[in-house]
Amino acid sequence: MLGVLNNSAQVLETIDERLLRCGVSRRSFLQFCSSLMVAAPFGLSITDKKTPEEVAQGLGRVIRPPVIWLHFQDCTGCTETLLRTSHPDLGDLILNIISLEYHETLMAGSGRQAEEALQEAIAKYSGKYVCVVEGSIPKRDNGVYMKLAGRPAYQVLEDVGGKAAAIIAIGSCASWGGIPSADPDPTGALGVADLMPDKTIINLPGCPPNPYTLLGVVLQYASSGTLPELDHERRPKFAYDRDIHEQCPRRAHFDAGRFVKQFGDEGHREGWCLYEMGCKGPDTHAGCSTRHFNEIPDVWPIGIGAPCIGCTEKSIAFRVPMFQVVQIHTPATPPDTYAPIIAPQGSISPLATGVAGLAAGALLGAGYVASRKFSTVKGDEHIPGSSSSPTIGSDQNLRPPEQGK
Amino acid sequence: MNQFNHTGSTLVNHWQRGVPVYGEPVITRTLLFFAALAAVGLVLALVRFCSPLGPLSGMNDAYAWGIWKTFNVMTLTALGSGPLAVGMAAWVFNRRKLHVVMRTALVTGFLFYATGLIALGFDVGRAWNFWNVLLPWRWNSGSAMLEVAVCMPVYCGIFLAFENLPLVLERFYYKGPEATKQRLHRAAPVLRRIYPFMITGAYVLPLMHQSSLGGLLLLAGNKIDPLWQTPLLPLLYLLAASVAGLGFVTVILLFACLRYGRELDLDVLGELGNLLSVMCFAFLAVRFGDLVWRGQINAAFAFSKMSLLFLLEAALFLTPALVLRNKSARETPRILLNMGALACLGGMFYRFVPTTIAFNPGNNSVYFPALPELMMTIGFISLGIVGFGCAVKYFAILPGEIKDWNYMFTLAKRRRSPGPASGEKVWQTE
Amino acid sequence: MNHGMNRRQALLGILGLGGTVAGTLAAPAAAEEHPEHPVAPPDAVGMLYDNSICTGCKACMTACNEANGLPPDTSLSGGLWDMPLDLNSKTKNIIKLCEDPQGKDFAYVKRQCMHCLDPACVTGCPFGALKKNQWGAVTWTSSLCIGCRYCEVSCPFEVPKFEWDKWNPKVVKCEFCFDQRLKENMQPACTGVCPTGAVIFGKRADLLEQAKKRVAASPNKYFENRVYGEHEAGGTQVLYLSHVPFDKIGLPKLGSTSLGHYATKVTSVLYKWLSGPLIVAGLLGAVIKRNWSVHEAERPEVERRTGLKEQL
Repeated sequence: MLGVLNNSAQVLETIDERLLRCGVSRRSFLQFCSSLMVAAPFGLSITDKKTPEEVAQGLGRVIRPPVIWLHFQDCTGCTETLLRTSHPDLGDLILNIISLEYHETLMAGSGRQAEEALQEAIAKYSGKYVCVVEGSIPKRDNGVYMKLAGRPAYQVLEDVGGKAAAIIAIGSCASWGGIPSADPDPTGALGVADLMPDKTIINLPGCPPNPYTLLGVVLQYASSGTLPELDHERRPKFAYDRDIHEQCPRRAHFDAGRFVKQFGDEGHREGWCLYEMGCKGPDTHAGCSTRHFNEIPDVWPIGIGAPCIGCTEKSIAFRVPMFQVVQIHTPATPPDTYAPIIAPQGSISPLATGVAGLAAGALLGAGYVASRKFSTVKGDEHIPGSSSSPTIGSDQNLRPPEQGK
Repeated sequence: MNQFNHTGSTLVNHWQRGVPVYGEPVITRTLLFFAALAAVGLVLALVRFCSPLGPLSGMNDAYAWGIWKTFNVMTLTALGSGPLAVGMAAWVFNRRKLHVVMRTALVTGFLFYATGLIALGFDVGRAWNFWNVLLPWRWNSGSAMLEVAVCMPVYCGIFLAFENLPLVLERFYYKGPEATKQRLHRAAPVLRRIYPFMITGAYVLPLMHQSSLGGLLLLAGNKIDPLWQTPLLPLLYLLAASVAGLGFVTVILLFACLRYGRELDLDVLGELGNLLSVMCFAFLAVRFGDLVWRGQINAAFAFSKMSLLFLLEAALFLTPALVLRNKSARETPRILLNMGALACLGGMFYRFVPTTIAFNPGNNSVYFPALPELMMTIGFISLGIVGFGCAVKYFAILPGEIKDWNYMFTLAKRRRSPGPASGEKVWQTE
Repeated sequence: MNHGMNRRQALLGILGLGGTVAGTLAAPAAAEEHPEHPVAPPDAVGMLYDNSICTGCKACMTACNEANGLPPDTSLSGGLWDMPLDLNSKTKNIIKLCEDPQGKDFAYVKRQCMHCLDPACVTGCPFGALKKNQWGAVTWTSSLCIGCRYCEVSCPFEVPKFEWDKWNPKVVKCEFCFDQRLKENMQPACTGVCPTGAVIFGKRADLLEQAKKRVAASPNKYFENRVYGEHEAGGTQVLYLSHVPFDKIGLPKLGSTSLGHYATKVTSVLYKWLSGPLIVAGLLGAVIKRNWSVHEAERPEVERRTGLKEQL
């Protein structure tokens, strides 16, 4: 099916033209645009337009960007997560909004036919297509651990990625190496940005990432040719600028000190905070707290009672043990604990008290003992042990006093 | 110097001039003990130099002043007010008998002040900014703390040091080479010319800062119990300093004579005792007068914790005041010692209590010095003791008899051997 | 023996006399620095806190920490929450709770620097590190502070806190966000973030008027029907309205004279242009000089009789 579509898209056409040619009704398209306005049940709006008509107008003029989707050392989870979207659904996306030139999971062809399609697409849309990469790239032993059509993955990336306008690295594997890069890292798995640091790359880490993040990036690129603002790890800020802990639905339990101590205990059943079970939420940047998965509320790790493992973060996921507790970097004030009006300070060290007592006692004791040596007789100037005789060297006293001072 | 005239007295004049302590080595077991304590204190001070204040002391935000300020400075410099009290009695009020004990007062006063200022130096948290003291336009003239911070180092480093200069130069004059003797010979008239001005300063400055130490507490307001908080705090602190100073000079003279085998001179000591009694009365008059004037006299006798502290303090002053009115008491060594000690304790008590025990910041906080803090205090005091122990042997400080005077200033290396019999003149006068 | 005064004595006498004259002339001027009833500067700003509106949300604590770059105080929470027990070196502003033991009534209180009209801390600071700055804000300058902690001893509200655990310790207290916000024409972080308007910012005169209006509008709602800070310690720029007794929320009972006035009323006269010390120096100097002259006159005789040099 895709081959037919490929043949007819000799020239890049706008979305309006495409829809017209495929017989998609205006009404369906408007429905699609409304779904774009709130592109997920939990709060990502892809456009700031006010009505579907406005969206349709803007979107209709957009030229469908060609997209080449590469799979390397992946589990296909990122593609799978994309399949579980319905607002808009994947069909709409790949058929009408973008021009999906190559995708190993979704395309009909295989073998030499698929390879031909890839080479054709690269040649025809060189410099214009978006390359989406899923899976990590092995580098050890000359990258023999993953080959596509006989070529090691990194060469394919250099070739395909090199001619792309932009590369979207979807998933933790493509962003920084993911699961294959976990200790002992037998394949030397790397992310796209590690191999091609000078290309325009957008990382969408996550295992899997939320599909609406990809949709947001693609649609922004498609409609305005720009990419969203990225942070220092090349992740789009609109999705990765907050950590899980900030907007976690179980935050009230954290603030009140209600923690799960053991899986299956009372607190766990009540849905209490999983911080003490090693939840990496405070250290993990992602939007999972508000945009859950599978378009069903509370379908996400913490929501089902499993502590976050920090799957987006290179320094945490598959490195820090799952049940190791993290530090809180931005502690806020707890809502139901208050400082008392009077807060006493200081403590008395028993050791110091002892030493002070000893010193004072010794002084007073010595003073008393010494005082006993003084006479109680009025006018008695005698001191025991005193003598009027001068001391050594007295013969030298014979020197007379000198002039001067 | 009228060292021989004790008109109307039947007592022997044993104190005629300052005489170094002969016949024992400088390094004794006692000295080594105190030197060890001083070393511990100085090592801890070095640690404090490189460390924040918190871990080494028990001070906290409620009790921001610890024993370094309240004891080493406020209380011990009161004991070190001997130069002020004895000096003014001798040079202003013409009590000429006291000139012979002036050196003892000066040396102990200097040591108390020096060790107190060292403690202060380690107590402040941002000592590197002290150079602002050289820029008078930055001085906050209303601040008692500024007055103390400027006046005490100037006093100790210039005026008190100058007063101690003659006794130091004396040793160089007698023991030094010919060239030194000639230089000192030429310097002597200059020193004599400026001497009266320097000692005027040496009395004006302590009058200022000893009262300012009390003035510091005025800003603490209601945090100090009303039995102690009064606009007359500066005057009372000054009077307490003179009591403590006189008391300490009396006590140290008695103990030193006992320790180094010198006969007492009850004429001089009696004079000190008399002055002590007068100053105690002066203090008590102002103290009680103040309480009556502020309407606190009932609280003073309410037998609460604060009231009992006050009554103890009053007793510490009243006892020497009354007992030393009696002439026979003033000529009995043990009574002089006990009364002097009580007066010292009274003066120390009065200066110490308002900053600590009667100081209540209102949040049930407590303060007790931490062990390093305490060891540093003990170390600084020990440093003073070591200083005194060495000074009395190197210099002519303790009062003694002229016949014991030795021009050679020789220090003993071994036990003393008998010399000429007593009474024999060993030198010729012209 | 000398009779009468010589040149030096005359000089000292003149100094003393001059000092007396100077002191007498200057004495009235001294009173102005710390008047018995301080007057607020014309541009005085202030905060009005009404604990009957405060919900204890503590947004002001978080906003203050953020605006001042202060770390959270997690010492008591094992690293989890910012949970100070009192103002301290990491907390310039705190919400405290006063609870009736029976649990029937409660009141919050926001504590921070009161920015007094005549602050005790400013009076005592030796080099003026703490000073009453523009708009009446009391600010601290690190280059002038020697860390003597006199400010902590003198503040009746126990506000300034010291960084005991730092080798380069600062004195930490609310400064009305002077550098980062007041100077940029913005209100302090705490008043800016308060969601209910429990604490508001404005000119002191306006806030005082508003507070009095609130008291008049609801008689017997506010404790003693008055505003705390109008006269306390001479008047403060942070004003309080409370529906529970002031001492229950930790606001100390204070008279209406400033501590600065109390502490300097005598010394400001005695030390004005150093007149007191100069007079005393003159008097003492005259007497000492006379006694010294007598002493010097007698010295040769004494030295001859004893055969020894005199000891000074």
